[in-house]
Amino acid sequence: MKIHNLFRQFWRRKPHPSPDVSSASMHQMHVALSMVAQTQAQELSCDEVYALLDIFADRVKRGEDAAALMPLVHQHLAMCPDCREEFEALLRAMEAK
Amino acid sequence: MSSRTDAEWCTELGGAAPDAALADLRGLLLRGLQFALVSYRVTENDLEDFVQDGLLKILHELSSYRGDARFTTWAHKVCVRVALTELRRRRWRDVSLDDLIVANEMSDFTPDVLMDHSADPGQTAPVQMMMATIQRIIAEELTERQRTAMMAVMQGGMPLQEVAERMGTNRNALYKLLHDARQRLQKRMMQGDDTPRTARNV
Ligand SMILES: [Zn+2]
Repeated sequence: MKIHNLFRQFWRRKPHPSPDVSSASMHQMHVALSMVAQTQAQELSCDEVYALLDIFADRVKRGEDAAALMPLVHQHLAMCPDCREEFEALLRAMEAK
Repeated sequence: MSSRTDAEWCTELGGAAPDAALADLRGLLLRGLQFALVSYRVTENDLEDFVQDGLLKILHELSSYRGDARFTTWAHKVCVRVALTELRRRRWRDVSLDDLIVANEMSDFTPDVLMDHSADPGQTAPVQMMMATIQRIIAEELTERQRTAMMAVMQGGMPLQEVAERMGTNRNALYKLLHDARQRLQKRMMQGDDTPRTARNV
């Protein structure tokens, strides 16, 4: 089997294709391969994202399509658990009155 | 207090009489962190400490605020970073990379289904082949450091911040290392060639 077909098939699968094949490591592998698939030649660094994160969060709160307006920030948040955690916490902090 | 404009926040905090603005900002950040950290194990004292450290950082970095975002959003961002940095440090303090690798059998992506001998071989064989191929590509394409970092983050769930510290680097550089690793894997997987490298080189 050609390897790109193998991976294309894998990416198309749900994380838990059937009860028999469900497992934590299959899920992790699926997440990892999705990240590999979504990898871009140019990605922002954590510092660059930090500098833009408040602007991104304001846009989300205003109901704008922040992901479309700032795709590189959106992409980094999908790849980086630390920045994603900070972004989610920031959105909650902004909810406080 | 909510009627201050972004410019007024900056002028007051950077001016000769910042006390009123500081008190208001402290209250705002405290309520913000209570919301932000609702699912984390933190005490009231922790929150007070985080806000205190956050305020110092905000005052120190005030000149870097450009007015592109709302001032309060920027301030929350600084404070959230301070709090989460400390919470990650605490949570992972006693975990080494070696602990993680052992706990997750990181050199091995073997899914549970392959350990289950009652599973239907017709179903496990393709999965087994796929996993073996992925393992081989990871082994062939990635450096030891890339493998360690990828496993610690993706399988071990350790924050980049903490992995970076253990690997003697910083979060920014570790992200770059992981990005390079993903690019290598992506390139190889798109090649359409699953011949082992050793066989090709013979
Ligand atoms: Zn990041």
